[in-house]
Amino acid sequence: MEYAETGAKRRKKLSESILDKFSMDFLRNQVLKNAYGNNDTVIAQLDPRILLVWYLFLGLVPWFVQDLWFLMGCFLLVLVTTRLARVAGLVLVLFAVGVFSQTGYLFLVSLLFGGDASTVIPLLVLTLKVATCSLASITVFSGLDPDRLSNGLMWYGCPERLSFSISYAYRILPMLMEEFQNILLSYRMRGNPPAHDTFGGKVRYLFYQVKVIMHAFYPLMLNTAKRSRTTVEALEIKGYRYAAVNKEVKRLKLSTLKVTYNDLLFLAISFFWIALSVLASTLF
Amino acid sequence: MELAGKQTASQSQKLMIFVLTMALYGLATLFTELIPSFQAGVVEFSVEYFLFIPLTLAMLFDPLSAALGAATGELVFSEIMLGQFGGLGELEKFLTVTVGVYIAGRMVRNPQNRKMVGLAAITGTGLQLLMGTVVDILKVQFAVEDFEAVAGLPESVFATEGFAFLNDLLFSGILFCLLPTLFLVPRLYGKIEPLLGMRPRDEKAWLGGINGKVVLGALVAFAAAIGAEMLATSGTPLIEWEADWAESGTALAIGMVVAAAIAILVLLVLKCNAGKRRVEQS
Repeated sequence: MEYAETGAKRRKKLSESILDKFSMDFLRNQVLKNAYGNNDTVIAQLDPRILLVWYLFLGLVPWFVQDLWFLMGCFLLVLVTTRLARVAGLVLVLFAVGVFSQTGYLFLVSLLFGGDASTVIPLLVLTLKVATCSLASITVFSGLDPDRLSNGLMWYGCPERLSFSISYAYRILPMLMEEFQNILLSYRMRGNPPAHDTFGGKVRYLFYQVKVIMHAFYPLMLNTAKRSRTTVEALEIKGYRYAAVNKEVKRLKLSTLKVTYNDLLFLAISFFWIALSVLASTLF
Repeated sequence: MELAGKQTASQSQKLMIFVLTMALYGLATLFTELIPSFQAGVVEFSVEYFLFIPLTLAMLFDPLSAALGAATGELVFSEIMLGQFGGLGELEKFLTVTVGVYIAGRMVRNPQNRKMVGLAAITGTGLQLLMGTVVDILKVQFAVEDFEAVAGLPESVFATEGFAFLNDLLFSGILFCLLPTLFLVPRLYGKIEPLLGMRPRDEKAWLGGINGKVVLGALVAFAAAIGAEMLATSGTPLIEWEADWAESGTALAIGMVVAAAIAILVLLVLKCNAGKRRVEQS
């Protein structure tokens, strides 16, 4: 009897601590940390244009190559750069879940349909490809400051709207999250959630929660509509739509970008490592 | 007041719709990316689809701006911000979301007609999911070499993808797309448009239904999505190129290693020199 009680208590404690971990504030902190928290890493100080070229190589080439040595080499390289970029933990967990859901479950299901260990090799190749591409993108897109990233994209002639969206998203996100949280809290204060002791009550409670989230979007939509009108009007005052296509403005904006020896060294070392893995693949 | 009378918005109003949809849908996809799905028996309730946000906005405003805004929002917030950008493969999601939302938005003539709103919402969601499923199946078929030779793989791919499609459509589609859209569209109608300085959509100020041009555009976009995905997973010319270079063998690889090593050395020396010069100058 006593044992059961402590067990229940422990379970309650455990679920509480998981809930604590997964609160809105935690999510917000992780996202913001990922975006702004690591400006002092090696990766963040590289030139965005160089990093984008590097990403283009590691994001595309592995898809076309079937060689296990080469893929392994690329994977190890991006593993090191991800470590250097000091990416937030949550993102890495998501990456692991994502890779598993892409290929890991396929392996399990193919076992179910009568596959055996020979299924492993093609799936390992596929997994390495997926993992290399996602880790390369994690390095580049979370290692870089959003402003530097959007400048880099702009230098390559990406549509102005995309780089505007990136910088805007990073600025507006904390505000939006806070507002959404406030709306949810006010619903919770005024609402009367159903009792959730029994199983039926739990299901009803879940539906109630989902309903509250849906309803919360109603005021959020109206508020955001107002805000986006203000934003666009402010942009128009500054002549945004003309500035976006003006060469002089673009030149001024991109004049801060500079390629240093560090960037070239980074490229050279990556190239060295890739060449080594090519050598390994031709030798074995 | 010629502008206010038209549903086709002015350029800055289109930008407003774009920004609005992008911010809202981006926020929602960020949550869905972070919140894990939970399983009830074999049925998976993923909160994957907060598609009701762009669907609602596409039915009330200019559908194309809303659709593009939603796709960009998803790309920027959940892929780039979290660093999950998958390269060319993302183009597929971008295009399917755009097509699904745009078609749903074009279908609705009068946002107060609940039947039409519901039908459009489920059509848009179904289209997006179906295109995603087709692309996924093709992707696995091309990514794994000797697809047929791997025992049990083809059946398992069809089974899992087909099941995932039905599951998503019936549970997430109804719970998170159909019902919220039915709730939000009539409520927001007439309230949100004045905030952007526009007139609500009605019979007169309507873009017109789905015609051949729209269908053609959707088909082209879908083909582009498949093409992008195929290019991302298997590129014939590059594989041939790779085979060429593998034949010429070890010598070339050694050359590459040596060249890279020399490059590193030269760069290190240059960097040291530059550092020294700076110290001397200061």
